[in-house]
Amino acid sequence: MIAVPLSAVAGHHPMGASTGALGRGDDWPALVRSACGVSTHAVELAAHDAAELPGLVAYLRGRPRLPFRHVSVHTPVKGVAAPEAERVAALLRLPPGVRTLIAHPDLVGDPEPYRVLGRRLVFENMDDRKAGGRTADELAPLFEALPEAGFCLDVAHAHTLDPSMALADELLDRFRGRLREVHLSSIRGGAHTTLTAGDEARFGPLLARCRDVPWILEARPPARWSQAEPGAGRRLPLVRTPLAA
Amino acid sequence: MSVAALAEATGEGFGPILRARERTAAGLAERRARLDRVRLDPDAAVVLLGSWGRHEVTSASDDDAIVLFCGERRDFTRPGPGEVAAVLGGPAPGPEGLFGATAWLADLTDRVGLDGDTNVNLTRRMLFLLESVAVAGDQAHARARRELLGLYLAPHERDYRPPRFFLNDLVRYWRTIAVDFEGKHRARAGEGWGLRHAKLRFSRKALFAGGLLPVLECHTLPADAMSAFLGGRLAEPPLDRIAAAFLTHGMPDAGARALRAYGDFLQLLDDPRQRGELSRLSEADADGSEVFARVRERGDELQAALLALLFEVPELERLVRDYLVF
Repeated sequence: MIAVPLSAVAGHHPMGASTGALGRGDDWPALVRSACGVSTHAVELAAHDAAELPGLVAYLRGRPRLPFRHVSVHTPVKGVAAPEAERVAALLRLPPGVRTLIAHPDLVGDPEPYRVLGRRLVFENMDDRKAGGRTADELAPLFEALPEAGFCLDVAHAHTLDPSMALADELLDRFRGRLREVHLSSIRGGAHTTLTAGDEARFGPLLARCRDVPWILEARPPARWSQAEPGAGRRLPLVRTPLAA
Repeated sequence: MSVAALAEATGEGFGPILRARERTAAGLAERRARLDRVRLDPDAAVVLLGSWGRHEVTSASDDDAIVLFCGERRDFTRPGPGEVAAVLGGPAPGPEGLFGATAWLADLTDRVGLDGDTNVNLTRRMLFLLESVAVAGDQAHARARRELLGLYLAPHERDYRPPRFFLNDLVRYWRTIAVDFEGKHRARAGEGWGLRHAKLRFSRKALFAGGLLPVLECHTLPADAMSAFLGGRLAEPPLDRIAAAFLTHGMPDAGARALRAYGDFLQLLDDPRQRGELSRLSEADADGSEVFARVRERGDELQAALLALLFEVPELERLVRDYLVF
C-alpha cells in the first residue's frame, strides 16, 4: 500500500495500478493480487492484446470479490483485426462493474459502433509515435461524434510531445469535464517506466488539476514513495510486495 | 454567485443548475405574490425548504413549506398551515410530518440534544439553517436564522477554530439522514428506494457539504466574526458555498466536474421518464437500471471531488483530521 503521503503526488489517495505494469499473461487473480499490493482503491485491468480479452471477460463475469472502488479495463491495442462492431460487441460482454473502458483514439475508424458504449468509453491521448489522437484538436472530432465519451489524460504521452506540458494543460482545458482517469508514469526509450523524481516534480502542477479522479500507474511505483525521506525523521512503510499467487 | 464564478473560471455552462435557479426564482416571485394577501402575525414567516432552499427546483419539486413563529407560544396564530397550503397549492405533508406544519423557533433553539430533540426538530433546525428561503415574513425568517446561529456560536470562544457545537450537530444530522435512509427503507417496504438513494448521493450530500465547508472555513476567523460570516454564507444556496470552496482552494477543475455531475442529477430529476423509473426502482432491481447506473456513477464523481477537496488540500485536510472524526 502507498500508506503515507510522501509528496503531493504520492499522497493522492485515488491511485491504482495497471496490471500491465505488474505482469503479463492471463492469470487474472494473480494480477489482481499484485495490483492490490499497490492500492485497493483503483485498478486498470490491461487487456492490451485482443487475445487476452475473453479470459478477462470470463474472470470478471465470475464475479470475483474485488475490493476496488474504481475498475477500468484497458481495451486491446494489439491483434485488433476484427471489424469495429465486433470489437465493441466483445467489450459489451464486460460486466457493468467495469465503468471505464480505456481506448486508443487512433484505433477508431468509424465512431458510430462505439456510441453504444456511452459514458463507459474513455479515450486517452496518444504519444509522439502515433499519427493521431495526440492533441486537443486531433481528439475533438472524436468527442464531438461521441459526446458521452470520457477522457483519460496520459501525462507521459503528452510529455513526449511537449515537455513544457502546455499541451497537457490544453487537453485539460478543452476536456476538463470529460476527465475520468489519469495515466501516470515516465516514458523512456518509448516505454512506460517508473515515474522519475524529475517527472514527478514536472507533472505536479498538472496533476493538481486532476485530484478527484483515479491515477493509474502504468509502471511500478517509485521506490522513493516507500522510503524515508531525508530529514523526515521517521521511517515509512515499504510498498508491499505483490501478494503470493 | 460562486457557481457563476466557477463557470467563468472554467468555461463551463452548468446549464441544468442555472435552469433550476431560474425556475426557482420565478416560482419564488409567484409564491411571494400569492402570499402577499395572507395576513401574518408579526413574528411569523412562511418558509420553503428542500429544493426551494437549495434553489434547485425542477418540474417535480414539492412545495415543502413550514410556518415558523419566532415569538411566544400561543393558541391562535396566523397564518395557519392549512391556509398556506391552500394558497401555495402544495401537496399534503409527508409521512414524517416535517412539512406543511407550524414550527416554533423556541423548539428549535431550546430542544437541542437529549430526548426532546426529535428527528423532526433536528431536521427542521438544520434545514432552516442550511436550505431555507422565506416567501413571506422575511424579517422573522432572518431573526430565526440569527438566533439559531447564535445558539451554536454562544459557547464558542476560540478564535481561528471551527465552532465545534455547530459542527457536531451538522455531522450528527448527516449521519441521521444516512441512518434514516435505512429506516425509511424498512418502514416503507422499499417503496421509493431509487429516488431516495439518488437524493442521498446528491442533494443530501450537497446539503451536508454546503454546511460543512463554511463551518471549517471559520478557522480563518476570530470568534466574533464567525456569526456574520456564517450568516452570509448560509444565506447562499449550498452549491454556491461548494463552488466557492473549490475556487478558494485552487481546485476549479474538480469543482467543475462536481457541478457537472450535480447538473446531470438535476436534469434527471427534471425528466419525468427517468424520475419515474427511479421512483419505482427497488434495491433488488437497481443493478439492471441504466438510470440508476448513471446516478451511481455521477454520484461517485461528486463524492470524489468533495473528498479531493477535503483530503488533498492540506489546509482542509488538517481541519478534517483535527475536527471531523473525534
